[in-house]
Formats: sequence, structure tokens, C-alpha cells
Amino acid sequence: MKIIAVTACPTGIAHTYMAAARLETTARNFGHEIKVETQGAMGIENKLTEDDIRQAHIAIFAVDIEVEDRDRFNGVKVIQVPLQEALKNPENIFAKIQR
Amino acid sequence: LSSGLHARPASQLAEVANQFASECALTNLRNGLMANGKSVLGIISADIRHGDRCTVHVSGPDEHSARGALRRFVEEALPQCDVPLAGSSSAIRSSTPPRCLQAAGVDCIFGAPISRGIAQGKVVIVGRMALPTHVGTPVATDPQRELERIKGALTAVRQRIVEKLKYSINSNGVAILQADLAMASDVSLAEKLTEHVLSGKSAGQAVVETGEFFIDLLRHSESEYIRERSADIEEICLQLLDEVYGRDTRKPTCELCEPSVVVAETLAPQQLLELDRRWLKGIVLEYSGSTSHAAILARSLGIPALVGVQNARLVLTPGDEVIVDANRGFLIPRSSPAVQRYYERERRTLDRRKEAWSRQIEEPAVTSDGKRLEVGANASSPGELTLAFENGADGVGLFRTEMIFLGLADAPSEEKQFAIYAEAARTANGRPVIIRTFDIGGDKEVPYLNLPAEDNPFLGYRGARVYAQYQQLLQSQLRAILRASALGQLQIMAPMISSLEEVLQFKAAISQAKQDLTRKGTAFRPDIKIGIMVEVPSVAFILGQMCAEVDFFSIGTNDLSQYFFAADRGNPKVAELFSVRHPGFLRFLKQLVAEIHQAGKWVGMCGEMAADLRHLPLIFGIGLDEISLPAAEIPEFKKQIAKLRAADCEDTFDRAIECRNTKEVDDLLNRKQRLQAPAPVLSEELVLLGSTSQTKEEVIHEIVDAFYIAGRTEDRHALEEALWAREAVYSTGLGYGFATPHCKTAAITADSIAVLRLNQPVEWNSVDREPVCMIVLIALRDPETESRHMQVFSTLARKLMNDEFREHLLKVGTASEVTTFLARQLGLPGGRAEGDP
Repeated sequence: MKIIAVTACPTGIAHTYMAAARLETTARNFGHEIKVETQGAMGIENKLTEDDIRQAHIAIFAVDIEVEDRDRFNGVKVIQVPLQEALKNPENIFAKIQR
Repeated sequence: LSSGLHARPASQLAEVANQFASECALTNLRNGLMANGKSVLGIISADIRHGDRCTVHVSGPDEHSARGALRRFVEEALPQCDVPLAGSSSAIRSSTPPRCLQAAGVDCIFGAPISRGIAQGKVVIVGRMALPTHVGTPVATDPQRELERIKGALTAVRQRIVEKLKYSINSNGVAILQADLAMASDVSLAEKLTEHVLSGKSAGQAVVETGEFFIDLLRHSESEYIRERSADIEEICLQLLDEVYGRDTRKPTCELCEPSVVVAETLAPQQLLELDRRWLKGIVLEYSGSTSHAAILARSLGIPALVGVQNARLVLTPGDEVIVDANRGFLIPRSSPAVQRYYERERRTLDRRKEAWSRQIEEPAVTSDGKRLEVGANASSPGELTLAFENGADGVGLFRTEMIFLGLADAPSEEKQFAIYAEAARTANGRPVIIRTFDIGGDKEVPYLNLPAEDNPFLGYRGARVYAQYQQLLQSQLRAILRASALGQLQIMAPMISSLEEVLQFKAAISQAKQDLTRKGTAFRPDIKIGIMVEVPSVAFILGQMCAEVDFFSIGTNDLSQYFFAADRGNPKVAELFSVRHPGFLRFLKQLVAEIHQAGKWVGMCGEMAADLRHLPLIFGIGLDEISLPAAEIPEFKKQIAKLRAADCEDTFDRAIECRNTKEVDDLLNRKQRLQAPAPVLSEELVLLGSTSQTKEEVIHEIVDAFYIAGRTEDRHALEEALWAREAVYSTGLGYGFATPHCKTAAITADSIAVLRLNQPVEWNSVDREPVCMIVLIALRDPETESRHMQVFSTLARKLMNDEFREHLLKVGTASEVTTFLARQLGLPGGRAEGDP
């Protein structure tokens, strides 16, 4: 499955990147392809392109704040969870997707 | 005046009015209050605030000249009167106790810290110094006799203050005594006393009622400064009562016999001085204000003090053990094991910070490529020298002596001067002290010299130019300096030299003083070094001849630059013409220093140019041997010098003198500033392995303290609260026994990573509900200067999700292994160790 994700937290110093790392490892373990965009103190990094979004089966928003430029994702199925969920139980998120 | 017509301007106004026989009435049109312009008390009681309109009515035999003098005073002198009293350091006031104490449920009572430090002792409550209403009889039968007693008492009190003034050399002490003297000489005070006595009251009763009248008046003033002066009135009234009834009628304030914290509504300076210094550990006052004389005294005696502590006398119980934290601004009324533990840790932190700090400032100032620069202090009293040497001064580059000569009715005696210079020599303990002989001219008023006012005092009769006329005064100063030179390494420097003749005359005067001392068999240093100030450009073009006559030079950039550009520093209309960073001036300084060095002589700089951190690259480019600046600035200068490369500085300087104007030089310096490397993100000082902290609060506090010890924060409270603000969103415990507290704050000096490993895990509300034993803290400086660090931090955050990375951190043995490992993992310099995963 092709998955895209966005992580963002209030300070954008630590958790945005920890969650991104966590989602990447877990997706790999589940055998999915994933690209994670981080919206942190350095701004948007690893930005999801139009192609990325068009080809994605599903988008995960692991965020505690508003996702920047959300309109890009119109037409994509989105699962939104609190960022902590991506740290605590990333497996749950992917299990839900498979269902 | 922004703080209204307060005591000092009022006393100067009254001084002018008192030179004339005419009556002078001052009316505040805002509140209709009228005052006798000859009375300081009267003027300040009229409560004249910023923006109030006032009228002055003058009538009498010399009213015409009186009006002229008053007008001149209001137009010229009055705006200069608003300089605040020395020493009111900015009070850091926190409104919440530290988290560790908060978590332990400790009560804190807040106040404004006006003298820093931490004190512990038993509460001793001192009552307000009430005027003893029952001394003597309230009524008297012979008003004339009572009037004589009052007059005698006033004279005696004034005399005693004048006497004390003669022996007081501490500048704060002098200011307090002078204010007391003004109060004791006030015409309104005398009038009120007379009025009471003539109405049949006894001298004592008259003092009591007069005191109450004025205290009440001042206490209702809108100005905090004037409200605080009521304690001074009280002081004078008490002294008057002592005179009327004899000293013994008053009991000392209280006897202390164990470590004590004195709690009072307010303390008169006399009361404070009467307390036994051995046992006085801390002061808590209900009354607020940092300019009261008690506050100034507490600061100069180094006693921790809080003011503005409401109802302190009601809530504190005599005999209870309390802690006064005048660093943070609160007191703890009841001690407990948690409080003891907190302050034990706090004391260790303060000791370690002091130790780290003193190691750094004791080192000489050397650039990274090995160029040494002496960093001296400017001072004008021996008291300032203690701070200067505590801050790591290599010597005193400029000891001004004008203060000793100003503000006195008569010239200071040789003995008084000797006492001052001797104290300076002893305090310097072998380090050099350059004493500049008096630099007085038409712009400074010295009654006993009778110097005429001049139209253009800066180009007039001043500095060494007046020495020929005041040979005796110069001789007594030179003898005093020479005698004190037997006790230390004193050097003599002449101000405002413009010709070789002046140097020769100055040296002849020194020879004569030496001969006098030799004849009397008094000891002095025969080879005492003699130098001159370089303040007049003419000196720069006769340096060869000057170097043959003197041992050293000190560049006074304030005057030198204004003579160089022919622009008055105080005149905003020509301010643009005037800058010490002008390429022409820089080139001039370089040539000057080069020529002095060619002759093998020493040259320093003691003007304001030397006291600006931005100028350091220029200072090295000019090639000075020494800079001399205010004592408080020295540690920061030493720190910055260590970061510079002299070769870079010389390069910058060479480009600066090629610039076309000051702006181009400024741009060049700003660009240079940005190239300077900030403190590294990783530092062993921020790695704490084997921590014994027991709670989350203690862990965060311990890391914040490490920042403080390492000099990465000066505001621990702000850093701590920034970290807790992030924790409030949700816990930073990320599971696996790890937590990553983080924040973005202006309270730190550099982006930093700190690591703390606990002996016993503590609760952190982690996502997996397990306690944590490893803390990796990230602190980002706001505003962000180097965005590359954010890259480092995000890499670190990602790595923390890696099992191997975490496991390695858990078992690393030493702080240096931690920083090496992290540096390597994060791609930072210094990561060259082997054995990393």
C-alpha cells in the first residue's frame, strides 16, 4: 500500500520528527511504502508532491495542530490521530488501515 | 524631571534660593500646594510631579538677581538633576516558587529582592521606630529656654553629620549623610520646631510633633522616592531627641544573639547599623522601595534583603526559623526536609557556578591565537576595587580622584587622601593601580578653588593646566600618592596634557614631593611610574619627545575624539560628525600606538571606546597593551577575547581604515560578528550521569542549574518555566525509559543539548506509563541564530526512535563519551571516538 503522512506538534522541535521516524519504521515493518512530511520548526520538509498525493491510498495526519496547506489532500482518504498516538501505538494506526 | 521634583533637585533649588535674602514662594498649580522655595522639605511636600505647572514668586531686596539665578537654574541645571542614586540593581521578581518547592507543597511569601543572597535565621521582629512620646514633659514654661535647646540640638546634629562626612569615603555613605545634612538644615523644619515651642510645648514634644507632621506629609506623596525619605526625617528627629535628652534615653533597636532575620515595617539607617552584624543574616521589610537608605546600606553590607513583603510582621512568628531567598524574591516561613534538600542543592549549584566563573575570570585575557591584552578596571573609590578584582581585573587602568575633591567646602587633607590611596594599594595586592591626579576645570564646581566659569570649559583652564596655580593642592595629592606607593604598585598619571612643558612641570612637582618625603624620612616607591593621558591631539605629534620623559600613556577616547573632530559629544546637532569608529580616528590611534611602541613604552585605553564589546576587533587592530573599563563588564570581555583571533582582528582593522565612513566600518564589524562561532551545542558540562534527583521537578531543576553553572543562562526561572510550559501540553516521556523535554527560549545564550542519566528512575507520565531514567533535553535559542542546529535537533529526535541509539546512551560510561558519541551521530565536530555503533 502507498501511504503518505504529515506530522506536526506545537513546538516543532522534537515530537514532529520522532513521530515521523516512528511511522517510517512501522510502515516498513508492515510492508508498506510511506513518505512522511514534517511540519516543524524548520518549516515543511520532505514535502509531499502532487504525484505523491494522487498515488496515495491513504494519508495519516499525526498532528496536534492544524495541517498546513490542507487543501492539497482533498479527495484523499485521511486518518487523523493525535501525534502521541503515533509514538505510543503506531501499530494500531496501521492495523486500522488494513481493516 | 521624570520622577518629579524629588529630594536631590529640590535641595539644589533650595540652595540657589538660599543665596538671596528675598522670599521665594513656589506654587504647584495642579494641587494648589504652596512651598517655601528655600526649604527642601517644603518643596518636596508640594508633591510636584512630571508635567505639573508651577509658579515661582520672588519678592525682597534682591529679587531681581534672585529671579535671574532661579531662571538660569531651571533652564540649565535642573534638567541635569535627575541622575538616579547608585546601586538600585534591577530586581528580578518571580511570582511562582520554583517547581520543586511547589511540588512539595511549600508556602512562599513574595517580596522584591533589593540585596541578593540567601539567608537563614530566626525571625526577630523590630517595631517601627516610634518617636518616644513620653520622654520629658510635653509642655514647658519658658519658651525661650526651649528654643535655645532646639537650636543647640540642631547645630549639634548638623555638626555631627559634617564630622562624619569628613571621615566617610564610601560614596553611598556620603550621599546618605549629605541628604541627612540637607534635612537637618531645612528652614521648614526649623520653622515648624520654633512654631511648636513658641506655642508652649517642650523642646522634646516639639520634635515629636514636627517629626510626625513631616513624616505624615511625605508618606502621602505620590512619589515612592519621597515616601521613603520619611525614614530619613525620623532619623533626624531621633538624633534631635538624643541631643535634647541625652543619648541614654534611647534603647538600642534590639539585641541579636543567634543567626537572625530581622523583620520590620521599615528600618532607619541608624537602626540597621546598630544591629549586630555577626548575627544579622537577612532583612525583610513590609515597606517597598529600592531607593531607601536602608536598602542601599543592605546592599553595600551584602545582607540579603526583601522589601514590599506585605504583613510580614503579622504572618511571621518571632523565633521561627525562616529562609530568605533574595535571589528569587521570596521567603519561606517554615522549613521542612524538602526545603532543606532544595537549599542544599541550591548552595552546591551556587558554589559550583562561582568556582567555574572564577576559574574563567582569573585567567588572563588571551585570544585563541595567543595574543594577550591586559584588562583593567576604571574606578573612583577603593570600594569599587574589590568588585574589580573579583571580576578578574589585571589592574586599575584609571583611578579617578576628582570625586575626592568635589562636593566639599574645603580641600581634602593629605591624610584623608593617603587613607584612600593606601586602601586602593592594599586592595590591589600587588597589581598596578594608575592614579590620575585631579582633573578639575571650569565645568566642575569646586568652591575652594574659585575657578571662574568659562564660556568653553572643554577648551579652557582645566586638568594639568591649573596645576601651576594650585601647587599646594597638587603637592599634597602627590605626597599622599607617593606615601601610599610604599604599600603597592601605584602609578601616577597626569590629565589633559597638551605640551612637553606641562610634562616637565608635572615631573618637577613629583620630584619636589619626593624630596619633601625623603627629608621627613617617609617611605615611598622611588621608581614610581609616571604617565600621561592622551586626550589632546597635539600630544600625538610630539610623541618622540614625550616618550623620553614618561613611562606610559593612556588614551582617553572621550576627549581625544571630541577634540579630533571638533565636535561636542553632548551636542546632538553635531553627533553625526563624532564617532570613535571613524576610519580617520582609527588610523590616528594606530599611528599613535605604533610610535609609542617604537619607543618601547606601554599604552592603554581608558575611554568609553574601550568599554564597548563591539570594538574588541578594533582594539586588537590598534595594538593596545591594555584596556580599562567598568568592573562589571570585565568577565564578559575576557570571555569574548578568548573567542577572537588576533590575526583576524588585524585584518578587520586594516579593512576598517580603508572604509570611507563610520557606517561602512559598522557594517564591516556587524558582518564579522556573525562569523563568530557561538558556543557548541554539545558540552560535557551539560552531561549529568548518575543523578540523584528524585522527582521530575528535581530533574528539570538540576539540568537548568547545569545551564546556569555553564553560563548558558542567567535566568533560571525563565528557562525552567519554558520547559514546564512544554510539559503542560503533554508529557515528553517517549517511552523506553526516555524523556525529551525541550523548549525555545530567549533565556539561554546558545542552542544546547543536555543529557541526564538517573540512578533511580522517576515518574514522568510517559506514553508507556513507565518511569524514565534517561533525559535528553533540547533547548533552542530564541530568536534562532543558526538554523543548522534545528537540523541537528530533528536528527536527534529521529535517532531517539532507534533502539540501538538508545541502548548505547544507556550504557555509555563518561560525559566525554556521551558528547563524542552524540557529536558523531549528529554530524557535529568532535565526534571522532571509536567503538560507536
